Amino acid sequence: MSETSGQQHPVGVYLKVWILLFVLSTFSYMVDFFHLEGYLRWTLILIFMFLKAGFIIAIFMHVAWERLALKYVLFVPLSAIAILILLMAIEGDYTFLTRETFFDQ
Amino acid sequence: MTIETDTSTTYTDPGVDGMVSDWSSDRQTFDLPWGKLMMWIFLLSDTFIFSVFLTGYMNVRLSQTATWPNTSEVFALEIAGTHLPLILIAIMTFVLITSSGTMAMAVNFAYNGDRRKTAILMGATALLGASFVGMQAFEWTKLIGEGVRPWGNPMGSPQFGAAFFMITGFHGLHVTAGVIYLSIVARKVARGDYEKKGYAIVEITGLYWHFVDLVWVFIFAFFYLW
Amino acid sequence: MQNVAIADQIDELHDPQTFITKYIWSQDHKVIAIQYGLTAIFVGLIALALSGLMRLQLGFPDAFDFINPSDYLQFVTMHGMIMVIYLLTALLLGGFGNYLIPLMIGARDMVFPFLNMLSYWFYLVSVIVLLTSFFVPGGPTGAGWTLYPPQAILPGTPGYDWGIILMLVSLAIFIVAFTMGGLNYVTTVLQARTHGMTLMRMPLTIWGIFTATVLGLLAFPALLVSAIMMMLDKTLGTSFFMPALVSLGENLDYSGGSPILFQHLFWFFGHPEVYIVALPAFGMVSDVLATHARKSIFGYRMMVWAIVVIGGLSFFVWAHHMYVSGMDPAFGFFFATTTLIIAVPTAIKVYNWVLTLWKGNIQLTVPMLFAIGFIFTFTHGGLTGLFLGNVTIDLPLSDTYFVVAHFHMVMGVSPIMVLFAAIYHWYPLLTGKMFDERLGKIHFWFTFLGTYAIYLPMHYLGFLGVPRRYFAMGSMDFIPDSAQTLNQSITISALIVGFSQLIFLYNVFVSLRNGKPAGHNPWGATSLEWQTPDVPPRHGNWGPKLPQVYRWAYDYGVPGAKEDFIPQNHPVTDSERTAGEHDA
Ligand code: HEM
Ligand SMILES: [Cu+2]
Repeated sequence: MSETSGQQHPVGVYLKVWILLFVLSTFSYMVDFFHLEGYLRWTLILIFMFLKAGFIIAIFMHVAWERLALKYVLFVPLSAIAILILLMAIEGDYTFLTRETFFDQ
Repeated sequence: MTIETDTSTTYTDPGVDGMVSDWSSDRQTFDLPWGKLMMWIFLLSDTFIFSVFLTGYMNVRLSQTATWPNTSEVFALEIAGTHLPLILIAIMTFVLITSSGTMAMAVNFAYNGDRRKTAILMGATALLGASFVGMQAFEWTKLIGEGVRPWGNPMGSPQFGAAFFMITGFHGLHVTAGVIYLSIVARKVARGDYEKKGYAIVEITGLYWHFVDLVWVFIFAFFYLW
Repeated sequence: MQNVAIADQIDELHDPQTFITKYIWSQDHKVIAIQYGLTAIFVGLIALALSGLMRLQLGFPDAFDFINPSDYLQFVTMHGMIMVIYLLTALLLGGFGNYLIPLMIGARDMVFPFLNMLSYWFYLVSVIVLLTSFFVPGGPTGAGWTLYPPQAILPGTPGYDWGIILMLVSLAIFIVAFTMGGLNYVTTVLQARTHGMTLMRMPLTIWGIFTATVLGLLAFPALLVSAIMMMLDKTLGTSFFMPALVSLGENLDYSGGSPILFQHLFWFFGHPEVYIVALPAFGMVSDVLATHARKSIFGYRMMVWAIVVIGGLSFFVWAHHMYVSGMDPAFGFFFATTTLIIAVPTAIKVYNWVLTLWKGNIQLTVPMLFAIGFIFTFTHGGLTGLFLGNVTIDLPLSDTYFVVAHFHMVMGVSPIMVLFAAIYHWYPLLTGKMFDERLGKIHFWFTFLGTYAIYLPMHYLGFLGVPRRYFAMGSMDFIPDSAQTLNQSITISALIVGFSQLIFLYNVFVSLRNGKPAGHNPWGATSLEWQTPDVPPRHGNWGPKLPQVYRWAYDYGVPGAKEDFIPQNHPVTDSERTAGEHDA
């Protein structure tokens, strides 16, 4: 590996992302602080979460500058996790419903 | 089937064409050091571990008939007479993000060949990590003092304590391992051990550290804010 | 491109000097492979002995009073777990993966030899922990290899105390070992191939092992996490998998956990695990078939894609093991569909194996016999899989001997057939000696026919409704007395098959001394592992210079060639080039 092919990028990018992460974290804290509820709460939490995760992965972990081949390796397998999460959410609701139906606590 | 081709890739074609040519090259598929690719694959595997932890937590929580404690209150602190919900967790989040920032800078200085700054920044990263673990220990102590146990708690569903100790514990172990890893590499950087081999190792260490931060983003959203 | 160059530098490898560094703390992938192999075969023999004991009980109930019901459960559990994890996974990936990957892709070793060595030692520790559980109070766990809670950790199940804890610890250590090895295998295949070795020139063996390793790295996390959670339930009293329940008349402290969750997590690991043992077998059998039929593999590209697609899909079918579990009934449709889809690439592979044999110059050598045997057993096991994949057909068959017969055919016997094929096939390379052909054939016929004598009747018992994991059938109206006669004959066959493995062991060990020298490449194979300067290959594999690859691994029976095969490292000749133009 020649020296130039290491990941080197202008410091400014890191600083901007750094600040952005602080801001986003503050925002997600605010969601709780102001007791937002329901769909609004969840939309905001998820948006902030994915933005933060995206910036960490893309900039700090340099994935934005990696080859497409690596990106696919990293993200395609997550489809299995996505299905697991979806089905376990459905399953959790189903278990809850059966409990409500058959046991009264 | 016997066509002779010169298949060594230059890793310059963009997009899907580039991906095809990367995968069809001989000798190596990725233009990465062995250690870095290995770290990426390990992190993918570790992603599955944390995802399954969180999915399991989600499932037991969704199937609960007992009430789930209000995390916003459980993790609140009185600071200077004001009641601040989730404040410690927020501080921990900021500490971890700060450490990710110092780590990113360390990688940058490493590739610029500035050994001293690299080592200092990695040391700072490790210190921030250690203080994160410290705050976590404080939080655990506080909860245990309030009667939260892995098998039950006074506030409601017993799965709350179970999931809390398990998930933050496993994440905390990762942070601790990261602190040790960082300290070792930082020392070697300072000594100049990598002058010959190059500084990819700093980037690799960085990948692990950012990953730990990344996991915390999800734990923060799904455990503390839900 | 400097990191490629490392593979070229021979002085990077320190030649081991002493006996200890050469054979014990060795970092040479070939030595590690043999360590893995011998350990795996050793525990495999224990698992075989356990199955013999179970069969004795089933064939002749009441005759052996040293086997009581809880012993039986412990035998079932340890037999199943050892066979699947500690024998097949370890031998196929740790053993054959380690041996063949660097040799077949033209590398000097794995990319991180030290980690590779650690992997073996962790595996050994996991085996020791597992075997320790035979000697602790209460004995090993009897929860079944699926370890379902709540019963796995509650009184009433044998080994609910120490046994299950040691089992979980052992599995966790195994997963660590596997991860260290697996990261190495994947990185080596991706980054350390020799000149000219593109992915699409790799032998199918490597494709199978590579894909299986990726599956392992992504599936074992689910097992690790469920092991940790069950361990917490057991030791700390958390309730991840434990609902509120009454056990032996006592109200337990558990409440609110979900046993179904464990089943989901277990099978999210468990189904890919089936392919972790199947895919390397698919790969190796393809190479054995092509070599001994002197014919190029039929549909190489299709075979590669089938392996990859099967591997990917295997993460989306897990709950076909849970049709009777009480999960959300809507899942049945989803999982039955994905399960039937995965049958398509699997069937493609079977067709391609058969078409590889079609009009080949078939040499009925011992490896070839086992490979052909595999096609039979795998097809049979695969067809019964189609039954079980459909919800309505599975419901009455679930938990009967039909299931036992199915999974033994498809993931028990079939990979074992390939393992024998592979051991006989690569024995000359590993040892430099030939094994005894006649004994090998005797071993084959005993094993192959014996397999059918054991498992065909089990399908029928399953249709009758004989339940699995039962110590004795007792007197159930729906089971005719003749079922017992059948059970006796199964037991006798099983004992014969079990003992006939001694022929194999004898052959392997005695041929080490008495076998004819094998020489270079006795099978006339094209792939790189047979083209090393020394047989068996030495540390560093290739002497001073790495091989250069010019072609795929299946140039058998090339018209106009000097011999009926052309190794991968032989340059393309002029006559081939003109012939190629004619084709195009
Ligand atoms: C001669 C060879 C073998 C014989 C005679 C044999 C026999 C048996 C018997 C009698 C059972 C218990 C059935 C019951 O009571 O439910 C069983 C279970 C099992 N066997 Fe084998 N077996 C053999 C080889 C293998 C192999 C090679 C594998 C590798 C995959 C394997 C995997 C299993 C598994 C996973 C179980 C289920 C354990 C459980 O129910 O928890 N067996 N076998
Ligand atoms: Cu399955």
